[in-house]
Amino acid sequence: MNNFCLSGGVRPASLAPRGLCLLLSMAILAGSCREQDATFPKVIVLGFDGMDPKLCERLMDAGQLPHLSKMRNNGGYRRLATTIPPQSPVAWASFITGADPGIHGVFDFIHRDASRQCVPYYSVAETIESDQGWEIGDYKIPLTFWPFNHQAVETKLRRGGTPFWDYLDEAGVPVRIYDIPANYPPSPSHAGHMCCLSGMGVPDLLGTLGGMYQFFSDAIVVARDEPGGGGMRHPLVFKNHTAKGAITGPRNVYDRKGKSARVPFVIHRHPSDPTARIEIQDQTIVLQEGEWSDWQEIDFELEMPSLLPNAHVVGMCRFYLQKVHPTFRLYVTPINIDPSDPGDQKISEPPEFVTRIADELGRFYTTGFQEDHKALSNKVFSDEEFRQQADYVLEERLALLEYALAHYNDGLLFFYFSSTDLQAHMFWWESDEKHPVRSPTEAAKYNDVIVELYKRMDQVVGDVVQRYGETATILVMSDHGFVNFKRQFNLNTWLRKNGYLRPSDCGSLLDPTKGAPVDWSRSRAYGMGLNGLYVNLKGRELYGSVDPEDRNALLSKITEQLLAERDPQNGKQIIAKVYRTDEVYTNPDAATVPDLIIGYESGYRASWATTLGDLSNEVVADNDATWSADHCIAADQVPGVLYSNHPITTNDPSLLDLAPTILTLFQVEVPQTMTGVTVFDRKDAVVATVGFPGKRPIKE
Amino acid sequence: MQPMAEWMVNILNWLLIAGGQLWFWTWENLKAICGVLWGVVDAVLNPVLSPVLSILNPVCVVVGDVIYAAIDLLPIWVGLILLSAGTGVVMLVFFRYTSNQTAIARAKDDIKANLLALKLFRDDLRVVFSAQGKVLLAVLRLQRHVLLPVLLATPFMLLVMAQMGIRHQWRPLHPNERTLIKMTMRPSSGKSTQAVLRAHPGVRVEVGPVPGGNQFVWRVRAGQLGRHVLQFDVGSTVVEKEFVVAKGLERVSALRPGADWTSQLIHPVERPLPTASPVESIEILYPSLESRVYGTDYWLLTFFVVSMIVALILSPVFKVKF
Repeated sequence: MNNFCLSGGVRPASLAPRGLCLLLSMAILAGSCREQDATFPKVIVLGFDGMDPKLCERLMDAGQLPHLSKMRNNGGYRRLATTIPPQSPVAWASFITGADPGIHGVFDFIHRDASRQCVPYYSVAETIESDQGWEIGDYKIPLTFWPFNHQAVETKLRRGGTPFWDYLDEAGVPVRIYDIPANYPPSPSHAGHMCCLSGMGVPDLLGTLGGMYQFFSDAIVVARDEPGGGGMRHPLVFKNHTAKGAITGPRNVYDRKGKSARVPFVIHRHPSDPTARIEIQDQTIVLQEGEWSDWQEIDFELEMPSLLPNAHVVGMCRFYLQKVHPTFRLYVTPINIDPSDPGDQKISEPPEFVTRIADELGRFYTTGFQEDHKALSNKVFSDEEFRQQADYVLEERLALLEYALAHYNDGLLFFYFSSTDLQAHMFWWESDEKHPVRSPTEAAKYNDVIVELYKRMDQVVGDVVQRYGETATILVMSDHGFVNFKRQFNLNTWLRKNGYLRPSDCGSLLDPTKGAPVDWSRSRAYGMGLNGLYVNLKGRELYGSVDPEDRNALLSKITEQLLAERDPQNGKQIIAKVYRTDEVYTNPDAATVPDLIIGYESGYRASWATTLGDLSNEVVADNDATWSADHCIAADQVPGVLYSNHPITTNDPSLLDLAPTILTLFQVEVPQTMTGVTVFDRKDAVVATVGFPGKRPIKE
Repeated sequence: MQPMAEWMVNILNWLLIAGGQLWFWTWENLKAICGVLWGVVDAVLNPVLSPVLSILNPVCVVVGDVIYAAIDLLPIWVGLILLSAGTGVVMLVFFRYTSNQTAIARAKDDIKANLLALKLFRDDLRVVFSAQGKVLLAVLRLQRHVLLPVLLATPFMLLVMAQMGIRHQWRPLHPNERTLIKMTMRPSSGKSTQAVLRAHPGVRVEVGPVPGGNQFVWRVRAGQLGRHVLQFDVGSTVVEKEFVVAKGLERVSALRPGADWTSQLIHPVERPLPTASPVESIEILYPSLESRVYGTDYWLLTFFVVSMIVALILSPVFKVKF
């Protein structure tokens, strides 16, 4: 935000204008991020999710990343050790808190509820439904006001620990954070100096992590809801080149039957030209084949009892006309929370931070996963269509970065890019081996997309350095690297094969229709999530069978067997490391933490089925998905990167060092929960903080 | 106690549900009845008002152009406030000469007198009830005397607002800006009728027309600056529509209506389409004018607030009672 009365450290000449400024500030900025009258050091952190050191080094050696190379040549480059496991929510939670998963409590994308045996849930946020309310007919309406004080539906951040920016906030340092993962709903700013826009983890309006829609007239494609909130596919029937459809919106939380709101639309397609017109609510959208619409507001009406006015939930989406003739296909993005009118959905701190951005920039993606990888995985998108959509996301994010820089004076600025992660998952293939789904030519072509993306990110870094390199400490970091994902390992099938999961014909931990149900009284361990292995422990799991005193021996035996496992296809080791969480984490919560974290070898990863508890016939199989690269393996095989415009003096920096480094740059005391150390020499840190008014004590 | 409370809640819910359904039923039927009544009124008025508006509108547009040209040098919000204030004065004078000021003064005096009686004889129930009744009657009388001049002023006000609307509700397209042109066909036009937008330097067709329903829709980009006339070949006829590309603020005609008096009233710039034309209307989706004082919808609020305040302040000067 522009500091209209005190910009760039310029102070008012007399007390009178200062008082006037203060009054105006209080009046205008009440409830928004507070502005300071001091000049603070400038620290800019650019977070590139999944930027890989091996590729960076290769491209730097080839002279293709000149700006990052310059930092390396000045001693400002190291590989950055990542978390165990190297998953984005885990790693970013560690970046945020400067602590390991034992402190912040995020161990995987997916956790399991041991009190219900192994029911999975999203690890970073949870939505708590209200069980109170005024029951009238088919409706139940929470009366959140006095004297009823019913609990409203609420989304809570599960990530624990204290974000490093809380200490800056308390010290009065201006903090601006854009698109930070693992912070939805955004943590509050206690002192009012922090503004934060949530990133990865923000759901769409349906509560999923990105459910697209496809409407099609193909006779052979089957209408279905894609698994895992991957979207909905609906058939259309054209009559005289006109068809009717409906976008399914959020569930009506007031309807006891849980009906979903729907917004009908009409499509008119040209009888012969590749054009079509969509009439939805009061909007008309005219598109040519291959074109995207702008963001369109969609107003979902939630029915209420007759006497009460209906409730409304407003979101936004874009339409993409994929094909008109002979078959018709229309893609609709997930219904994003509208940044210009987020309603009750809190996606920024303070809530008006996002609306201020939208007032200037217009609408932009707000869901945590913006690149629609599920559309590519489910064959709704072709490779090229995914690339175009991902390019659009990047352009939006670059505009947001421009906004962030234009409104930045001093203090901390953090900006996150997802492109380097989600595009890499779909396009990365650093190998001559056969790609899971692409021909060698296609695999090389799309791998080049990643190379070009890295070059683009290098330009972004160059631009920031050019504008702030003389006055700011700039950190460029990633949470992990990338490797090919060629073979998938079903941990639960392996456990079944080795007698840890019974009976021998069980097919799923959760779904009894997929083979025999699991006999928990005879099962001793199970896998859930991408890297977690849990002992079926008595007193913890609902149907626990293993006595606590037998746990250590069981874990040792499983570890030994896992490390000895070889791929029957090529004889390679599948699992590089097995981490015991009670050894690698600080005081983890025994109720939620996995007992073991499986660190796969490069080229291997947990199978798609095993992440949600399903078993397969084979323990190891080829990965047959477009999602052809990953990082959920042994942590030392996928480090991230750390660049700076100041020499980095520690030899082996880790993600846990970044929070202490940032606090030190602002001369804010590093709390004891942070085990890392600053990555800069003390004198460099002092150079970086010239002009800072002095150390600010913090309250613990 | 518990079953009793539950029973009471059930009764309350039942009453609310039944009340809700009754309200819903009443509302829907009221709407339907009003719709039928409006249809009858419209059918009666349209043959009279549509030709009248066809004559009046061009005159009003010229007058509007002259007035807006006179305030062209002022900031637009100042111009709007001046026009609103001027309208307030005109309405005040109009009211002065179309209302029965003596009767209004008498009704107001009666209200004051009876309010005084209420204050003085608050212990005497007979007087209180009598005074309340007289106040009510005086208020109704006052309303009756006010209603006639208001009804007489309404057509003038509608014409004034229509002229302001075409200058404040939308803004012209900027060069290269994208919009939609919607042509609505009459049901009698036949499904095989084709529409073609002739090439023109003021507009570049991106997509379309896309037919469907009873409409043809083009997605276009604005071309050269100017007040253009677009020509459409529709079957064997040629239909024209004004299309404005400008960098500043100018009046625009968002819709060329058919011979329908309500549409003609709101969109007064262009001649209505002939009844024999296969086209019912042509609409251009001009962008909203962004301003919380003189922009889309807000201009109306400014207009009403300023004109009423001016009328209230100046009423003693013009010796007007209302």
